[in-house]
Amino acid sequence: MSNSFKRGRALTTAIAFSAAAAMVVSGCTTTGGDDTDESTGGDGATGSTVSIATTNALTSLHSGTAEHNLNTNGMVDYLTGNGGLGSFLTISNELEVVPDTTNGTMELVSEDPLQVKYTLNENAVWSDGTEMTVDDLLLSWVIGSGWFGDGDENYFSLAGSTAGLNTTDFPEIDRDARTLTLNYSEAYVDWNLVNLITKPAHVFAEQVDMSAEELTQFFTDTEKGEQGNETLSTLGEFHNTGYAITQMPTDESLLVSAGPYVVSDFQANDGGFVQLSPNENWQGDPVQVETIILKFIGDASTQIQQLANGEVNVIEPQADANTLQSLESQGSDVIQGDQLSYDHIDLTFDGVFADANVREAFLKTIPRQAIVDSIVKPVNPEASVLNSQLFVSSQEQYAEAEAANGYDSFTEPDIEGAKELLAGATPEVRILYSSDNPNRVNAFRLIQQSAEEAGFVIVDEADPEWSARLGSGDYDATIFGWISPGAGYAGLPQIFKTGGGGNYNNYSNTEIDGWIDETQTLIDDEERMLELQIMIDTATAEDFYGLPLFQSPGLVASDGSVDGLVYNPTQTGVVHNILEWSVVE
Amino acid sequence: MFSYVVRRILVSILTLLIASFLMYMLTALSADPLEELRTSSAPNKDELIARRIELLQLDVAPPLRWLMWVGGVASCLAPFAFECTLGNSIEGFEVALLLPPAMASTIRLVTAASILAIILGVVVGMVTALRQNSAFDIGTTFVSFFLYSLPSFLVAVLLKEFGAIGMNNFIQRGDPPQISLIWIIGLTVVSGLVWSLIVGGTPYRRLITFGVAGAATAAALVYMNLTNFFLEPSLGPVLLFLLIALTIVGVTALTAGLRNRRALIAAGIVGVIGYICYFTLQGLFDVSTIWTLLILGVVAIVVSVLVGFAVSYFGPDKGQVIRAAGITGFFVSFFVLIDRFMQAWPSYMANPRINGRPVATAQDATTGYSGDVWGTGIDQLMHFALPTISMLLVSFAFYTRFARAGLLEVFNQDYIRTARAKGLSEQTIVMRHAFRNMLIPLTTIIAADIGSLLGGALITERVFAIAGMGAMFNNGLRVLDLNPIMGYFLVIAILAIAFNFIADMLYAVLDPRVRVK
Repeated sequence: MSNSFKRGRALTTAIAFSAAAAMVVSGCTTTGGDDTDESTGGDGATGSTVSIATTNALTSLHSGTAEHNLNTNGMVDYLTGNGGLGSFLTISNELEVVPDTTNGTMELVSEDPLQVKYTLNENAVWSDGTEMTVDDLLLSWVIGSGWFGDGDENYFSLAGSTAGLNTTDFPEIDRDARTLTLNYSEAYVDWNLVNLITKPAHVFAEQVDMSAEELTQFFTDTEKGEQGNETLSTLGEFHNTGYAITQMPTDESLLVSAGPYVVSDFQANDGGFVQLSPNENWQGDPVQVETIILKFIGDASTQIQQLANGEVNVIEPQADANTLQSLESQGSDVIQGDQLSYDHIDLTFDGVFADANVREAFLKTIPRQAIVDSIVKPVNPEASVLNSQLFVSSQEQYAEAEAANGYDSFTEPDIEGAKELLAGATPEVRILYSSDNPNRVNAFRLIQQSAEEAGFVIVDEADPEWSARLGSGDYDATIFGWISPGAGYAGLPQIFKTGGGGNYNNYSNTEIDGWIDETQTLIDDEERMLELQIMIDTATAEDFYGLPLFQSPGLVASDGSVDGLVYNPTQTGVVHNILEWSVVE
Repeated sequence: MFSYVVRRILVSILTLLIASFLMYMLTALSADPLEELRTSSAPNKDELIARRIELLQLDVAPPLRWLMWVGGVASCLAPFAFECTLGNSIEGFEVALLLPPAMASTIRLVTAASILAIILGVVVGMVTALRQNSAFDIGTTFVSFFLYSLPSFLVAVLLKEFGAIGMNNFIQRGDPPQISLIWIIGLTVVSGLVWSLIVGGTPYRRLITFGVAGAATAAALVYMNLTNFFLEPSLGPVLLFLLIALTIVGVTALTAGLRNRRALIAAGIVGVIGYICYFTLQGLFDVSTIWTLLILGVVAIVVSVLVGFAVSYFGPDKGQVIRAAGITGFFVSFFVLIDRFMQAWPSYMANPRINGRPVATAQDATTGYSGDVWGTGIDQLMHFALPTISMLLVSFAFYTRFARAGLLEVFNQDYIRTARAKGLSEQTIVMRHAFRNMLIPLTTIIAADIGSLLGGALITERVFAIAGMGAMFNNGLRVLDLNPIMGYFLVIAILAIAFNFIADMLYAVLDPRVRVK
């Protein structure tokens, strides 16, 4: 009795439930009946598309901060005019500065005192339609110069340094003429790399409830070195973390761009992507590729198979012998080149290498050609030994430097010569290198073998934490890599000047110090610059400073669907000439 | 019981603390997070180094930093002197915000693979146990150990080469794509051999099985060629009818036995309702969202169960009938859905983002593809198929062995002998007496496995570019980003401990012989 009652109730409940479900079902449907259109069309699927695989994921729409200075962030910045296309300048394949006059021009007014004038074009405009004004230029200057705050407490976290701009006065602004003039109190060698179109002032102004013009007024009224200012803190916070994203931002003002493209979709992390669509207000050369998709694929073999499967059109994987072989066997187009990073061996100038003869003898034993043959040739058959401490092979100046500096005499080992110099001595040399980097381990083995023939006693100081020991002096030689800054000369004092931040081997040569100081004040004098650089290069060789070994090989591969691809060694990578690309039908 | 639980929890917390300390120290001492900055020639290098030291508190010695980390984590549980935080990643992101999406990705990746591995592993394992020491048993053992020993990156690369690139080339270049004669003959022979080994029996019976299975396979392949299956697949009313009929018979046979007429009738009614729904629901399907489908699925199961309930209202065997009807309902709905997905296939293939190459080698969705629930469903399937298979192949072997050993052990028990002596049918003995008891140890294994599964599959995630927990750990290690690594560790450790605990509890619940003290 009670059992059947229960059953009856269960039945009623079930019927009521089904009825309710039917109602919910009708509510849970899409409106349109013509979904077939939707699935064949899709948004953003029209026009030409190029998909590029990048190794790192995008973490921020502003690579100018210390935390987010990563190559994929830099690529997107380049495409969206945050100091790339649509700003005042770009860097060419040969690492030279190329003016970009789409939105404005920069002009050297006077060399001494150094004065540079930035002029915005009449029609210069941001992607959201807002006109570009001097406010935008001033904001970039405020961020880059460290004008507010002091050295320890800077409001803006910068990937680059404030060097150069920190010697400028508050800029002269002419709102109607759309110009901003920088007056440097000291000569600054890289004045032509100072880019004042980065992020839009009206977006920053919004953060502190001002208009762009009011923001400029605020900057003008605030004292230099002002500390603990709330408005500046808000602006700094926005600059440092506001552009860091883990999903497509809902705030569209973060996407405002000065370049040919605007970010239109994003998914974070490995396996994610960022999609770029044309900037409708772009004034420069028209884009020929409608949609650019950067896919974040960390694994090189995955990139290669995606290329083979047509999921991406262009890849720029880590170049190694396997990569090259698989790309060639699957018939992809491969473009090879040299990266800006190069391995070198440096000698510590105290201890056993205080004696120039020992240094020379040791350098004479280093089999540079054999190192290149075994490490780089399998990837790039045309690779050769790097023969300059200052230039990389893609630079036009390299050939001249190579001919003059004398590094080419160390290409093949000269064991006999080394033995003569040592005159029977058997100095002990501790070599520090990264045990995690197979290239460095290889190079060490070859050097060890060759140096021991000449009588050196080599101590293997392989260490996964090698970098923390740099400059500690508890080693005599170290094999590691520098990344050439490419364009610009402000990095020169770092490595070769006495006490420089990257001068880990205690190298000191007063003549070189003087030359380096001179380079830092040279304005617009490429001839003298080249002369000085070659002198420095030569002097390091004469001091037996150490030896450059090789540039890391790089490559770009495509499925043949994109015309106009060129290898570019800078952080911008393959997209640097995106306006010249076209899709092959 | 209560004291047991409390003791377990206290011990777990202690384990967690010690393990996290070891993990923290080992990781912190393994590399230098400032390496890339030290070797940079940036003019403001010192400033960059100072900033990173400040962000990651690198000026504090690792053991103290560990204490601060523990403090931050503990504050999430109870208000404490520290603020609740799992720390920052090297890019300045809160680890607590990075964990949920990574976990979601991993869950998406491992769910299907684990469920399939369990089902397939158990089924195959049971069959091998029933045909112990036969050629099929030995063959399966060989294959499963072979797969188990393959490194997963190799499996992944091979799968992509043949399953994705090769398959796409086949689909794209054929006009229309046709399975070649060699493949048809090969697959026919293989399928005939496998089936004849599974079914076994006298040579004559084997020959018959070989012939039937081979013929069916050949017919299916020829059908695919004739109907241009790879470009316009469909089940259609005829094939669907056949499938439903097979399901009714098969499900009834396994759950209740064909002699149970009521079960057969209930399954039959469900089949008919499903077949009618196939014709009437197409309009609704066109405007469906994922929620519509979920609700329809629930309704389908409820209706099936009700049918079973109604048919068996006056019978003694409600459980069996309802089960037969319910399972039939599940499969019939599944086939109807498959048919609808097939209908969406041509428009999916025609999408310019797909461009006639449907199987993807990496990532979790096609960038820029947007479609209705059917299109996106296919897209998901095409992206998750290969990673799922590659994970499946490894864990499949494990479950096969486990199920085989489990069933063989149960078969030696007295109660099975009793059941045989009673004259119960083999189907009843296997499905009702042996199978269920075999599942008890399996349940605890699965519970313990879930914890480790959520750790993600480091290699699979990397090779298929899926940003799950494994990828997070991997990336953290690469640049020595300590806090994400510890975030990963925290999740994995807690889950492992929790699920082990659950497994112990479950065992006690399922097996009355076991008591916790």
